[in-house]
Amino acid sequence: MFDSFYEATTTIFNQSIQAWKESGKKVVGYTCSYVPAEIFFAADILPVRIRGIETEGMDIGDAYFGPFICSFPKCILQLAGKGKYRFLDGAIITPGCDAMRRLDECWRKAGEDYQGIVPPFFYYFDVPHKTLPHGMKWFQEEIRYLIDFVQKHFGLSISDEALRKAIALYNQGRQMLRELEEIRTRADVPITGTEAFAVTVAGTVMPRDVYTEKLGRLLESLKTRPPVSAGKKRLMVIGSISDDIEIVELIEKNPNALVVAENLCFGVRYEGNLVAETGDPVMAMAESYLGECTCPRMFGKYPERLEILKEKIAAAAIDGVIMQNIRFCDLHGSEHGLLERDLEKAGIPCLKIEREYGPLTDTGRMQMRIQAFLERISK
Amino acid sequence: MSIVAGCDVGSLTSKAVIMNGQKIIGSAIIRSKARPEESAMAAMDEALGSAAKAAAMDKPLAAAGTTLNQIAYSVGTGYGRDKIPFINETRSEIACHGKGARWMVPTVRTVIDIGGQDCKAIKLNDAGEVENFITNDKCASGTGRFLEVMADVLNVGIHELGEMSARARSPIMLASTCTVWAQADVIKYLNSGYLLEDIGAGINSAMAKRVAILANTIKVEKEICMTGGVAKNSGVVATLEKILGHRIRKIRRADPQLAGAIGAAVFAFEKLNGQQGEKI
Repeated sequence: MFDSFYEATTTIFNQSIQAWKESGKKVVGYTCSYVPAEIFFAADILPVRIRGIETEGMDIGDAYFGPFICSFPKCILQLAGKGKYRFLDGAIITPGCDAMRRLDECWRKAGEDYQGIVPPFFYYFDVPHKTLPHGMKWFQEEIRYLIDFVQKHFGLSISDEALRKAIALYNQGRQMLRELEEIRTRADVPITGTEAFAVTVAGTVMPRDVYTEKLGRLLESLKTRPPVSAGKKRLMVIGSISDDIEIVELIEKNPNALVVAENLCFGVRYEGNLVAETGDPVMAMAESYLGECTCPRMFGKYPERLEILKEKIAAAAIDGVIMQNIRFCDLHGSEHGLLERDLEKAGIPCLKIEREYGPLTDTGRMQMRIQAFLERISK
Repeated sequence: MSIVAGCDVGSLTSKAVIMNGQKIIGSAIIRSKARPEESAMAAMDEALGSAAKAAAMDKPLAAAGTTLNQIAYSVGTGYGRDKIPFINETRSEIACHGKGARWMVPTVRTVIDIGGQDCKAIKLNDAGEVENFITNDKCASGTGRFLEVMADVLNVGIHELGEMSARARSPIMLASTCTVWAQADVIKYLNSGYLLEDIGAGINSAMAKRVAILANTIKVEKEICMTGGVAKNSGVVATLEKILGHRIRKIRRADPQLAGAIGAAVFAFEKLNGQQGEKI
């Protein structure tokens, strides 16, 4: 049941991307959940999230980025330098945060030394930090520019009708992911956090029609699956970008821990808001994507983020929140300082962990903290 | 009464404590070996040996078992906790240091533990349970390993570093956070002819400052006590008191380096006597 999800989640050039490429179609990678993937699907181009798993060293990443930068974009650059992203026909870089924004320049510079690692369509997609009307206007323009560039570069045309169809399909997936989220809030949870995270991450790297079909079948099978939650502490994982199921797996190695909720960029956060299926599709995408406020990159939205988090915590009867941030992650590092104060004040135990992205090197130290936290909330 | 044990296998040292009721009847602190199993066994052997010696000298304790088989329940902690062969369960070092500190100083609310590569600040509630904790995540420069490296450079024993602060006239300043670069700074001071005690005092201050940053993050509350090997360094303790603006309660009931193992043994005792049973 989970095999294809796991394969997609734990492999960069996964089977569904391979099959897509073999059929002669294009693949474009993107680095941030604020990129409307519907645009590419409407153009019959496969949109996939650019990831950092499978990194085995950091010589290339460090050479261009320097030492005091989040290791996630460095891992991406490392993989690009090693040729792991040669299957991409395009890449979209965004200012999700400054480290990810610099991936644009660093990747281009590395491309001067490592031939052929910069995809032919290499585009910087700007995303405002404010949702005020002028920000929305700007974002709409950005989306229209992107559509124009895609059309010109790939020699195709993206109709409003095709966009609406893609939006409807993506909305279907969003609804299903919400259903999965809801299932995990129940007293009897039939799915582990590791499994659920694998399923969710897979949605960022599979053709959406294939994904929703598989997700539908999974949701059906969960109706009769026995619960795995008996006697376990219910945890929520939030924080820095993570496309690596190992972090959830590490937590769930503790026999009394179950991750029943998360708020991660590669997790439920990317489902964002539903997009209006009528009217101008560009305006609809702009409003729902930019209106999404659970990423700390968005200015002035902290109170809303806190409220959303509290609602999720209450809905899933969370015993404790694990806040993990990648070293040098400004966005989540500072957000966690605020959240910890507010959540602890509301009586919700929190554990802050700082880690490196990449193959989990600090497992011993992290496990000790997680165990201590579980002891704290098991009193 | 039943015999219980706690074993704390740390990155630099391994500790074992054997308790009979409220009394420590055997203990050991050894240098950790490559394998945690070996460390645990060696520490336990030594603790059993010390229990046997104590029993030989103290007739009322002669009933105390001095073989592994006679230990009714034991708890393991520290990095090697999952590999300790003879234990019944594991607990995190956070919980064990909290428990051990509470056993040594019943009024303690904040525990600052400095181990070989870890530095922790733990807050306890009225009942002595862990309310909050913070550990060093960035690097290990404010830990026992930092002092070990520096003592090696000065060519003195680690236990000699502490009292240098009291003798120093003008302690040096160490600006580098990184242990290796701080070591380079120390070498520079040595080459420039600075007095050993001034350098030692600077090392203790640098250490205390790093620990204070961590402790202040969780807002220390009285009573405060320090556990781990570094608690035996009077220079670090005195500087820390100055920075925090609080006295640090001196632990007299046992060696503060044994706190984790004592806490583990106390957990074992509580387990044996039921959660609602007698609390030490």
